[in-house]
Order: sequence, then structure tokens, then C-alpha cells
Amino acid sequence: MADQLTSGSPPRFAHESEAELARILDFYGVAWRYEPDVFPISWNADGAVIESFAPDFYLPEIDLYVELTTLKQSLVLKKNRKLRHLRQLYPEIRVKLFYARDFRALMVKYGRTGFLADLVAANGNGNGNGAAKVAPAAADEDAPATTGP
Amino acid sequence: MSLHDDVEEILLDSETVANRVSELAAELTADYAGRDPVLVSVLKGALVFLADLMRAMDLPSSIDLMEVSSYGGTATESSGLVRIMKDLSASIADEDVLIVEDIIDTGLTLNYLLRYLWERNPASIRICCLLDKPARRLAEIPIDYIGFTIPDRFVIGYGLDYDERYRNLPYIGVLKPSVYGGAPPEG
Repeated sequence: MADQLTSGSPPRFAHESEAELARILDFYGVAWRYEPDVFPISWNADGAVIESFAPDFYLPEIDLYVELTTLKQSLVLKKNRKLRHLRQLYPEIRVKLFYARDFRALMVKYGRTGFLADLVAANGNGNGNGAAKVAPAAADEDAPATTGP
Repeated sequence: MSLHDDVEEILLDSETVANRVSELAAELTADYAGRDPVLVSVLKGALVFLADLMRAMDLPSSIDLMEVSSYGGTATESSGLVRIMKDLSASIADEDVLIVEDIIDTGLTLNYLLRYLWERNPASIRICCLLDKPARRLAEIPIDYIGFTIPDRFVIGYGLDYDERYRNLPYIGVLKPSVYGGAPPEG
């Protein structure tokens, strides 16, 4: 049974796509935690953290972080940059990046195209997370989907 | 209108698939020599692969079939948990189980199935899959035999379906995104 369900009330997800992924993991009995860790990735001259990265999910059974990307290309590129920093600073951390197209493929696989359409309607043209549009190929080329050992 | 018209490209033609299935069968025949493995498949996608693989194996094997509910259907709304729709028809206690799968994508179904089958106390469990699509893997699956590792494309044919169609295509093809309302291919 999923960790999250047995440890109290469900978290407040930032986006509906994250809630959907949590439901999928629950369905298949995969343990998960929502944004359990924050990794500093940039510091100022005084040593204070000025930028950090908190992957959306952690799957303890396979020691894997999962991050869902947004639809807006500017945010995808920013996330790719942060992921590169994360890889450099924490090479032992395994992070799988789910682009919008990965999430969309999951929805097609599970016949959840109606949910997908609802997300598009709710989020408008590209302001939501992970549903409607396919992330441009350039984003995929920018960073591999899985990092770490 | 032919089924083939919905195929964007043939990823693995029938001859390539047949040759690889023969190679896998030879490998399995050697590895399981002296044993009588139980070939377990999950309905419905693996049926074609199972049928070809078992006929190419020179072993006294038996087969069994399972069916599990998938996320997104009505079962999801009623229970919220995966369910065994069709269980094994015989005990696998002390048996050597070989799971024969058509494709491993996220690995979530197989991950559930592995836990379920291990509770039945088999002597061993190994996994043989025709297609490994690791891009979106969300579970650690120890795959012992892999036919092909494929890119992140929507594949159909040779048992694999979209909305219950295309299973009878003799090859493995990539479905045109327009069929499932997807965007044009990238890059």
C-alpha cells in the first residue's frame, strides 16, 4: 500500500496532474512521498541557498525521484537547467523527468483522454502542468529522462 | 479502410520478430533444461507472443493465464485498487514460473503481479518480455529475457492493441498519433 495513504491525509498537490500520478501509483500499490526532499543547487557568496530543487515524488521502493514538468517551454528549460545542476551536485540521486508528452502517453494508455481534456480546459493554453501539449523535442534533447546510476 | 492505414511505420517486421522469438525460445530451452516451467501470461496483449514462444520451445512446459484490472476503467472508480480479474487456474507452489509479457512500459502492473505471484511460493520466477520500453519505468523490474528494447513510441500489433484493435497485425508498428488524438511526431 502506498506510504502516503497509510500515513495520513493526502497532500495538497500543486497540480492536478500530480494528483493523477498519485492515484495511479496508489492503484498499483506503489509507495510514494510527495516533495519529501529539497536539494539546494545554488548558493550566493555568503553561502546562503538561493536556488533549490524539490522533485515532486519520491518512490522509496526503487529509490527514485520523479519530477513532472510543466507545459510552458520557458519553465521546461528552467527545469532542465536545474536538473543538470542537481546531477552535477548529487550524482547519487536518481531522478526521472516526466515531460508533458510522457504524462499524456500515460493518460492515453489508461484511456484517460477525458481527464486530459479536462486538464486542458482548466489550464488554458499551456499554463498548466503536464497534460495538454507535447513538450518540444528540444526539451528532451536538453536532458535525458533519467539521471544518476 | 485497412488496419495498416493507421500505422505510421513498421518498427519490427514479422520476420524480425519471428527470428527473435526463435532465439529467445532456444535460450529458454537451454536455461530450463530438465525443468517443466509454467508459462504465465497476462491477458490479452501477450497471447500472440506466448503462442509463438511456447511452440518454439522444446520443453514440457505448461501455460496459465491471468487478467488484472487496469487503471482508468470503471474498476478504478469502484475500488481504487488493482484487482485480479482472472486468477491462475492451478497452484504454482514449488514451480518454476516464467512470466511471458508482450511489453513492459511503466512496469506497474508487472510489479504488482510479481508481489502477488511470490506469495504463491513458486520455486522461481523469471520474466521474458518481447518489448522493453524503459523510458517511463516507475517500478524496478528484473527482466531476464528481452526481445527488443524499443524507443518511446505508441506500438501496436503482434498482440498489442489500441482500444482493442490492431492486435492481429503480423508486425509491430507505430500507431499514427492522429488515431488516438495525439500530436504529430516530434523531432
